[in-house]
Amino acid sequence: MGLIQREIEKAGIPTAGISIVRRFTEETKAPRAVFLKWPMGHPLGEPGRGKQQITVLKKALETLETIKEPGTIIDLPYRWRRYEDMS
Amino acid sequence: MNRGELDPGFATNLPHTLGMEQSMALKDRILAKIFTAFPSLVRRAAEKIPPLKIGGIPWAPFTKGLKGSRVAIVTTAGVHLKSQKPFNMKDPNGDATFRVIPKDTKKEDFIITHDYYDHRDADIDINIVFPIDRLRELADEGFIGAVAENHYGFMGHIDGPHLKTLLNDTAPDAAKRLKEDGVDCVLLTPG
Repeated sequence: MGLIQREIEKAGIPTAGISIVRRFTEETKAPRAVFLKWPMGHPLGEPGRGKQQITVLKKALETLETIKEPGTIIDLPYRWRRYEDMS
Repeated sequence: MNRGELDPGFATNLPHTLGMEQSMALKDRILAKIFTAFPSLVRRAAEKIPPLKIGGIPWAPFTKGLKGSRVAIVTTAGVHLKSQKPFNMKDPNGDATFRVIPKDTKKEDFIITHDYYDHRDADIDINIVFPIDRLRELADEGFIGAVAENHYGFMGHIDGPHLKTLLNDTAPDAAKRLKEDGVDCVLLTPG
């Protein structure tokens, strides 16, 4: 995802990513991202939970206005509650 | 066996009683299920992938403000329309092509082709990987200016020779289309 993000940014369009594997986002040097320690397949949370999805979406888009340092990843404080074994 | 002892590599040793291709598909499905049930393993598996060496960070300053911006989504979750050609799941190096997703696509016209993560929840609600309805709500409330006409769907599992295709051809092509669409900023979502 980060590689595609970089190509879009190179073309002159600002980008913001939602990361769920922090290492990949760090290594691909994505310009702006929020990180959530949530399971694969759930970058915006759970099905049918619109409020949760809107919250993540807003936080991700806001980085366009708030991140000034290229490569910044903002760790969002939301914990995944569905799986007790989520580390 | 304790959950903590589960080796994500074990599925590679599945007996090949099925055809090679079916066995690979089965392996991927099993891995996807395991990774969803034991999310910490995703991180452990990710640690085994050799690091990418990339220099520099591209930067396009954002000056327009969200309220005045036309926003597009680019996802690597394997999202596309049922009427479009599915991503190629038989190639172990993935598929570097993309699909154009019009903003007014109906819920029932979406499908996800991606064997490398468990998308059963996203099949129920596409918004958890491709938040198109939420983006529309943000446009309605004035948080963003507008939803772009077209969005772009990739399949995130890309490796080997296809990485070159992605970096030299398909990703720049999608970027060029986004420019032509008059998009001001892009949200990227993984699978």
